[in-house]
Amino acid sequence: MEIIKVNNLNVSYGNKLILKNLSMPFIKNKITAIIGPSGCGKSTFLTTLNLMLEEYDGKYNGEILFKDKDIKAYDKDEIRKMIGMVFQKPTPFPLSIYKNMTYAPIYYGVRDKQELRNLVESNLKKVGLFEEVSNELNMSAMKLSGGQQQRLSIARALTVEPEVLLLDEPCSALDIKNTAIIEEMLLELSKEYTIIIVTHNLSQAKRISDYVAFVLDGELIEYGHTNEVFYNPQDKRTKEYLDGIYG
Amino acid sequence: MKEKIEDKIFKLWIISSTIIVVTIIVFVLGYILRKGFGAIDLEFIFGNPKGIPLGVEGGIFPAIIGSLLLMILSCIFASILAISTAIYTVFYCSFRKVRDIIHLIIQCMAGVPSIVLGMFGYTLLILYLRINRSLLTAAITLGIMIFPYIEVRVEKILNEVNSSIINSSYALGISKFHTIIRLILPICKADIISAILLAGGFAMGATAPIILTGAVIFAPIPQSIFSPVMALPFHLYILTGEGISLQNAYGTAAVLIIILLLINILSLIIGRRKEHR
Repeated sequence: MEIIKVNNLNVSYGNKLILKNLSMPFIKNKITAIIGPSGCGKSTFLTTLNLMLEEYDGKYNGEILFKDKDIKAYDKDEIRKMIGMVFQKPTPFPLSIYKNMTYAPIYYGVRDKQELRNLVESNLKKVGLFEEVSNELNMSAMKLSGGQQQRLSIARALTVEPEVLLLDEPCSALDIKNTAIIEEMLLELSKEYTIIIVTHNLSQAKRISDYVAFVLDGELIEYGHTNEVFYNPQDKRTKEYLDGIYG
Repeated sequence: MKEKIEDKIFKLWIISSTIIVVTIIVFVLGYILRKGFGAIDLEFIFGNPKGIPLGVEGGIFPAIIGSLLLMILSCIFASILAISTAIYTVFYCSFRKVRDIIHLIIQCMAGVPSIVLGMFGYTLLILYLRINRSLLTAAITLGIMIFPYIEVRVEKILNEVNSSIINSSYALGISKFHTIIRLILPICKADIISAILLAGGFAMGATAPIILTGAVIFAPIPQSIFSPVMALPFHLYILTGEGISLQNAYGTAAVLIIILLLINILSLIIGRRKEHR
């Protein structure tokens, strides 16, 4: 089932056209990887899906359907609640781990101490962080390692119970061990959430994704099942990229 | 070879400049403190001014309290306006021109001589609005004086908040208002308090704005914000200007300087503590 459907999407910053006539679906409870060389518009594409684009002064036209309804018909904040986002660099708030996790739930009206505590615990468990920090929930999140900070950022995005999770190269600043932990976690999370991940790392896309979209210079070149795209690319440019001809 | 000599001369120049400045400051502080300590005892700190002319004997307690009250009130008044203005210019003002105009006005305000501000406060608050010469009018005038200093620093502090943190909050579907009140201001709290304290010290040392608007030669500790008030710098000015007691003037100066040093040190500690977090 398609949870998001993108039709004829054009995105621009000022006069500069970043994405051109892009159309593709995102399947519910699957991991879709968006791959392509630097500067091809992958991240911009991601920010368009939860309307973060406007915070960066970008504009789009075309249609983005979320559960068969145009995202413009939703409230901006509502869309962002349902389509969560994790950025490339870990972005813990300079507050305690606990406050990082309760920041959004409190905003959405959760007041009960026990309920907040349960939310913190269950979401930290989902990213495998709970065992590591259960005794230090009041410690500043800035003191965590890079990998832990990124997992905290993911857990924080989960606290608002999104249906889709957008991840913009979440592992690019992390070492192999933390990358492995996050990949395993994403596979686990995809049972509950739809995951859309932008990645530079082709083997990562191959390891975890169900679908792959290859974007080049703002155009969608190829979209399909991961195995089909990787082992039997239809477009010459996809094959060249996978063979390492472009950056 | 030439570069090496230039390098050495430059180094010598900057080191000697630093030494000269530091020496002058230490000398001034040391001189005032040494001269002032002779006058300072418990009676001086906790007593009322006495004698004829007033101030020859006795203490400066009402002036200490007056100065602290002036500082607190002017800080409250100025920081509410300054923080609001800074939030507007950083997060809400989408027109560059408007922002430029606000910056220009604030810079002009910072350049207005303090005696002119005193006259402005006197004309507006006392002659026009008919408020008594009081703690309130003096504090508002001081508040106007320190407003630009707080605004500029708070704006810089807010601008330095990592934009990815702000965007992470927006990406959770959280409103701008909530993001500013519950996330950004708490993050900046230490820096903002440190900035306000510094400005408060500046307000406490200022004499010109309060001569016309609220400071008096003698008043007991103010009973309300509508009472006139004594202030350390004004008391110092009277003691020296009228030739009442040089000894007590040094004592007053020493007390003022000690309080200001404490405020500045506190401001530094608060600002520093955040860095280590």
